Amino acid sequence: MYLSLADGSFRRGSSAPLRHSAPYRCGGRSVCPAMAAVAAGRAAAHGHGESGGGRGGSFLGPRVPAEVEAMARVLQDMGKETFRRLLRVTVNALEGKDCKESVKLIAESTNLSEEQLAFLISGMYTLLREALRLPLSTFKQEVFKEDLKELRIPEDFIVDFSSIVFGNRRPTSEGTALIQGSRLPRVQDFKWRVDVAISTSSLARALQPSILMMLKLSDGTAHRFEVPVAKFQELRYNVALILKEMNDLEKRSVLKIQD
Amino acid sequence: MAAPEPPQPPPEGSKPLSALLSGIAQAAYCGNEDITEELLRGQLYPEAAPEEFRALRAKMGGLLQSIASADMDLNQLEAFLTAQTKKQGGITSDQAAVIAKFWKNHRMKIHESLINQSRWDNVLKNMNWRVDLKSQSRHIDQINTPVAIVEMELGKIGQESEFLCLEFDEAKVSQMLKKLSEIEESMNSLTQTT
Repeated sequence: MYLSLADGSFRRGSSAPLRHSAPYRCGGRSVCPAMAAVAAGRAAAHGHGESGGGRGGSFLGPRVPAEVEAMARVLQDMGKETFRRLLRVTVNALEGKDCKESVKLIAESTNLSEEQLAFLISGMYTLLREALRLPLSTFKQEVFKEDLKELRIPEDFIVDFSSIVFGNRRPTSEGTALIQGSRLPRVQDFKWRVDVAISTSSLARALQPSILMMLKLSDGTAHRFEVPVAKFQELRYNVALILKEMNDLEKRSVLKIQD
Repeated sequence: MAAPEPPQPPPEGSKPLSALLSGIAQAAYCGNEDITEELLRGQLYPEAAPEEFRALRAKMGGLLQSIASADMDLNQLEAFLTAQTKKQGGITSDQAAVIAKFWKNHRMKIHESLINQSRWDNVLKNMNWRVDLKSQSRHIDQINTPVAIVEMELGKIGQESEFLCLEFDEAKVSQMLKKLSEIEESMNSLTQTT
């Protein structure tokens, strides 16, 4: 189907299914409705004989978000220095940092209007966010660059965008995306100690063991607490039960979505 | 538990004394502040003069403290009470019997409460858990891995708790279980040698 399309869309036609169907353990079958919609939208766009080399079929989906298009327009006559500053701010925003101050600084030091600035930042933000959510294993740098070229983004800037999506800045942004993906803290380190209190202010002869536990969590916090022996047995029993439940759950093939 | 009760009816005055011991224990070990000296005297020994009652309460409180602090077993208790009956200004053998009976019934509870009094750090009070099957998220279409959500109630005794929510994947749970087994082994070896 893609092969019959006009040239210019040929490359994208042959690469697109590769990009969208292989990931996420789908086993080479495109099952995601969103992906199907992308493909359908693209086909429709081409079907209508739209000129402009299939603008509707980039990694951004069938329709390029308005802010990205607006950004691409403003980028045409922009200095590299300003662009890089904006890019840095956008990456910081993607990593969840507060960027109010730095945006204010850029606004003061350049002659960009407030509207242009808004287009630029939101456009870059959307572009990067969409690009970063695609898995590296199937999303190829050349495809990304080609897509940006079609948005008429200047060559120099494409290199910069690409170095963020495919370069060494990627892990941080990706890490944040995962953390933001509603996940509870996990245990990173677990230390324990068995204490036996021999004598205390209220008991001359206590000789009662108890366990001191220390949990270091992935959110950076640490929790220290004591566990009386009876509670410890309860804890151990429950953890064993959890493991059993998880094993059982995995065996129930009804819940498995087969490839 | 199977200790045979003495066949004769309990000696006179054993009821108020037993109640007095309960009251003292409640106030001292269970943090019940409603039990005042005045209340005990009014309820149990209305005919006794305040000073007389205060002396009795102090004496019983002192004995109970000695017994609880040493967490006496039955033999130790017997020896202790016998010595008290022989001591000048000590207790009568009837009183000793009441104390012995009281301790037999309340030893565990009082000991527990004293142990808790020696804990002022955060304590694991309770835990809840749930096993979820993650199916999909914004960035990943299919996950299909079970995760355990564990809520731990931590707090100081008698104070408000905080709830700690954690997420475990299967590997982490199994790792945790291994560590807990290590702890148990270590505890077993400790309690067996002593």
